[in-house]
Amino acid sequence: MHAQAANTQVPIFAVWGSPGAGAHVRFMTETRDLSALIVAVAERGDRDAFASLFNHFAPRVKAYLMKLGTTSEAAEELAQETLLAVWRRAAGFDPARAAASTWVFAIARNLRIDLARRERRPLPGEQPAPEQAPRPDAQLATLQDERRVATALAALPAEQAEAVRMAFFSDKPHSEIALDLSLPLGTVKSRIRLAMGRLRILLEEAG
Amino acid sequence: MSPSHHPSEHHLVEHAAGGLAPGHDLVIAAHVTTCGTCQAEVRLGEAVGGALLDALPPEAMAKDALARALARIERPAPPATVASRGPPADWIGFSSPAVDAAWRRRRWAAPGVWVAPVIRGPGRAHTYLLRVAAGMAVPYHRHKGRELVTVLKGAYEDRGDIHQPGDFAENDDVVEHRPTVTRDGECVCLISADAPLVALDWVGKLFQPFVRI
Repeated sequence: MHAQAANTQVPIFAVWGSPGAGAHVRFMTETRDLSALIVAVAERGDRDAFASLFNHFAPRVKAYLMKLGTTSEAAEELAQETLLAVWRRAAGFDPARAAASTWVFAIARNLRIDLARRERRPLPGEQPAPEQAPRPDAQLATLQDERRVATALAALPAEQAEAVRMAFFSDKPHSEIALDLSLPLGTVKSRIRLAMGRLRILLEEAG
Repeated sequence: MSPSHHPSEHHLVEHAAGGLAPGHDLVIAAHVTTCGTCQAEVRLGEAVGGALLDALPPEAMAKDALARALARIERPAPPATVASRGPPADWIGFSSPAVDAAWRRRRWAAPGVWVAPVIRGPGRAHTYLLRVAAGMAVPYHRHKGRELVTVLKGAYEDRGDIHQPGDFAENDDVVEHRPTVTRDGECVCLISADAPLVALDWVGKLFQPFVRI
């Protein structure tokens, strides 16, 4: 295993400032830490903050893409593209609206979709979709904190959690997920519906 | 005004996960831009995606990966692609380059009807814009597989329900219907179907070879 991946095993600590004499380690929660790093990139073009984000997210984005069947080389390249987009679009990140991991997930997902569509040869004039502003009524508290979402996920019954995981980590429509799990499609759909309802309640309670 | 017909939960989760076929994804995205309730659901889905991403065992990057990234961020960003002109102002506020480009390629298909292909495939799947004039009915038909629809402009009546701008509909292979545009004005829909529809009356059979939907 390479050093960068090993670094990500200690996410509690973030190194601030340049490494060396002036560097100091600040104790923060992981969530605020990652969001603060993106804000530091947006506000100051902070390269050290970017390096920390890269070390945390690039190996996970690569793992996510490989789970979806992307080759190791293509996943490496898309992870690079994702982190480059993190650098360029950092000003568009709002820590009050979304967790850092949610934002990075959405970027990686969109880049993967764009790549798949380019390979499919789009009709003339087709380009990647622009990001659209959220509607003001699309409010759900506590989504800016990934630990709460992770805690809520851990509290789901095992078969619901599995159905949700398959929806995100399987490049297949739900009908094929149902085949893989040897379940009727209706059961998979209802597990996902129950899981999302449960998550909503858990997160609203937490808020 | 918020839409009153929504996609099912699993469609929204699949949309958040990025697992829908491109055409189906566009139809869901069109609805979601107009609907705060569904947008909150998609954001919950994305938060789940983020939490799952964060919990994944990292996959080691190449040794020089960080050095490459640090070098790349020093290069100037390419100029943003020219924004497409966007859809007509009286459509729901959904902008997609594929849909905007399709609209400019629309072609006459029958009296009162134009069609604009957005995405072809995979297989016999087909995503298109369909415009039908006020008061007109689509010939009686059924579907092979699923058909997803979001209203972009105007309204139509289908089996007692009125579908208005932003409303979503899913029709499966047991539905046989003759959607009829209301008398208030033309109706434009974004439609993604697994297969071409099956005409059930002579009007449809007559026009289908030309309309190609």
